[in-house]
Order: sequence, then C-alpha cells, then structure tokens
Amino acid sequence: MKVLETKNLHKKFHKLEVLKGIDFSIEQGQVISIIGSSGSGKSTFLRCLNFLEKKDKGDIIYQSKKVENKASSITELRKHVGMVFQSFNLFQNMTVLDNVASGLRIVNKMEKTKAEETAKEVLEKVGMLDKANEYPARISGGQQQRVAIARALAMSPDVVLFDEPTSALDPELVAEVLSVMQDMAKEGMTMVIVTHEMGFAKEVSDRVIFLHEGKIAEEGTPEEVFEHPQNERLQSFLNSMTFS
Amino acid sequence: MELLHSIAEFFEIAFKNLPNFLPGIIATLLLSILSIVGGTLIGILVNLMKMAKVRPLVLLADIYVVIVRGTPLLLQLFFMFYCLPRMGINLDRFTSAVLGLSFHNGAYISEIFRGAILSIPKGQSEAAKAIGMTKLQSFRHVIFPQAFKNAVPALGNQFLLAIKDSSLASVITITETMMLARQLATATFSIFPIYFDAACIYMVLTYTLSFLLKKLEKRLRVNER
Repeated sequence: MKVLETKNLHKKFHKLEVLKGIDFSIEQGQVISIIGSSGSGKSTFLRCLNFLEKKDKGDIIYQSKKVENKASSITELRKHVGMVFQSFNLFQNMTVLDNVASGLRIVNKMEKTKAEETAKEVLEKVGMLDKANEYPARISGGQQQRVAIARALAMSPDVVLFDEPTSALDPELVAEVLSVMQDMAKEGMTMVIVTHEMGFAKEVSDRVIFLHEGKIAEEGTPEEVFEHPQNERLQSFLNSMTFS
Repeated sequence: MELLHSIAEFFEIAFKNLPNFLPGIIATLLLSILSIVGGTLIGILVNLMKMAKVRPLVLLADIYVVIVRGTPLLLQLFFMFYCLPRMGINLDRFTSAVLGLSFHNGAYISEIFRGAILSIPKGQSEAAKAIGMTKLQSFRHVIFPQAFKNAVPALGNQFLLAIKDSSLASVITITETMMLARQLATATFSIFPIYFDAACIYMVLTYTLSFLLKKLEKRLRVNER
C-alpha cells in the first residue's frame, strides 16, 4: 500500500524553479534514499512532503487521500509523518525526555505518566535513556540526533522523513546515528532519506532516487543506480563521490 | 560640631517621617506590580495578534505600539484621566492609572518579546510544526519559554522603569510615594529629608526587583551548556 505520494510537484522560490514536477511514491515499509548535488532540490522536496514548504502546484497524497491545503489537514498529516532535521532542532527548553514526550503530550494530549513511559521506551531503543534528564545543549550532536529520531518515533509515525540527518555531525558521530536508522529500517519503518552517505544509502535503501535540477533524473534499486547508472549526470555525480 | 548636629537632625527628620510614607509605598507597589503584570499580558497579546497574521489584528497591534511609543507617558495618563470620562468611559482614578501604565509598559514589553521571539532559531518552530503542533501550541510550549528566557534582562530594565514611572500617577491625583513626598514636604518644610526618604524608597524597591530578576535569570539558565 502506498503511504505517501506526490503528483507533478512544483516549487518556486521567487523566480527560481526548484522542483519541476516530481512524481513520487513510497510503499509501506519501504526505504527510499534521495541523492543529488546541493541545489538539486532534494531537501526542498522532502520539506514539501510535510508542508514545511508550500508547494506551488501538484498534489500530495497521504494514504490514498489528497491532502488539502488547509491548516487542519496539514496538522493531521504531520501527526503521522515524522521528520528528522539536519540540525536536530531539539526543543532547547525541554529535557531529552520532555522532547520525546512533547508530541504525545501536547499534540496527542496524552496523560503525562503514559507519555513519559512511551518516551522512555523509545529512548531505550535509540540508546539514550541514560540521558533522559539532560538538556539538549549538554549532549553531543550524535546524541541529539538520536533523541530527535526518538522524538519522531514516539508519535508512531507511518513514515519518517530524514533531511540530511548526518551532515551536521562530526565524522566520528555519524555511525551511531546511521546504526539507529538501520535498526529502524530493519524493523520495517517507512523512511524517506535525503543523504550524502552513499554507502549507507546503498546498503539500507529499497529504492534510490537521483534528483537533478528539480527533476528525477534516475531512479531504481541501489544496484541499478550505483552499479549501472544510465544518466550522465548521475555518473559524474557518483564519480565525484567515490573517494569520499 | 555644627555640621554633625545638622546631619543628625537631617536623619532624625528623615527617619521620623518614614512611617508616613506607608500608604504611598503600598500604592506605588500596587501600581507597579499591576502595571508590570498588565503590561506583560498586553505584550504577549500583541505578539499573538501579530503572529495570527490576520490583517486587522496586525494593524491594530502596530498602531497601538506606534502611538504609545510616540507620545509621552504623562500625556497618556492625562488622556486616561481627563479624556476618557468625556467619551463616556468612567473609571476610578486608580483603575485609570493602572490601565494607563499597563498600556504604556505593554507597548515596550511587546517589542522586547518581539525581538526575543525573532532571536529563536527557525528550526525550533519548524520542529514544532513538523511534530504536529498548532501555531498556538508551538508558541506556548516551545517558542515563548525560550524567548522569555532571552528577554529577562531587557524585561528587568522595563520593570525598573515601570516602578519609577508609577510616580507619574501622582499627576492624576493618586496618592503614591511621590505625591505623598510632595504633600509632606509642603506640610513640614523639611524638603530635603522628605525627598531623601522618597529616593530611598524607590532605591529599595528597584534594587530588590533587580536582585530577584538576577536570581530568576540564573535559574532559567539551567538548560545551557
């Protein structure tokens, strides 16, 4: 079953056309990685999926229903679509535990003890339970990102969007975040990942999409995309990546 | 000897008159506290109005801030006291003083909050949105608590001003510290010791407040590195 789809998605920033008609869909349990050089529109595309950027044209379809362009439908969509940001964006005024429980308590109006119980379970999963009472500013970037993942997971989302989740991390902290994401993929979470980690994308994805100048230039299985790239741009993009 | 004697006399008169100030101190405290609380509520309300992005509300909020910041407090108090009754709005003296001072503080406090809200990184409200919070939930649980913390030093400054500005209520016949000082000074002719008392009272009030604010600032800093 298709969880999330887009049809002919367009987005402009002033005169600059960033997305030029993207058709996309992701099935339950699928992991899709989106790769491409910077400026290709991959982050914008991801942010359009949960309306952090407002599309100019085209449809976003969630669970086979078109999402209306009004606040209540958008909020409803966001409850079921988790997001993990490049810069973590943990709520600085809340402890780790409160961050993870925030969606349940504030959005789902769950009772405090119940929300915290769930939050603790999720924190355990990402290996951050021992920091439950710390504030975000006092833990490392990798730890913050794991908490951010837990915050998204606590809402039991149908799909989680990752916007370059390891790009802001020191190299030695990347692995801990990727390993959490890998566990999620194994457990059958539906994930859309914008990433520069080619090795990771290759290993974990069911499908890989190469975006170029606001269009899908190539898509396929990791093997197709990484081993037998057809598109010239993709070939040169991959060549520039190999040594990193 | 002569000098020592007159100094002793000065403090004696000052000390003797201090109890006479009690009703004034209470009035000053009430005026200050109410106008600080009122001003803070108005400051929050103005920012919510601007955030709602509904044209008339934003316009109303902007006009309010422009008028209050563009006219003297003295004139604003006169307006509340003399003009409103002519327009058929009858408030007692104390209420109109509290309202006048609250409106005045509210405009400045709203600007303090606006700046503090702008200083919160965009990622915070994006994360709040992304998890499904409404604008109001995001403001209440994520943005405002952080903005408030950043605003405390500037707010403190405004609160001190509010205490001192409450003295202007004397011109609309509120018997607060300043008014009492003037009355006592004319009655006793001991002008210097009496105004010295008034100065001490304001000093004690403002110093206590800034001490409390420093403590608050420290406590709010727990979530920093």
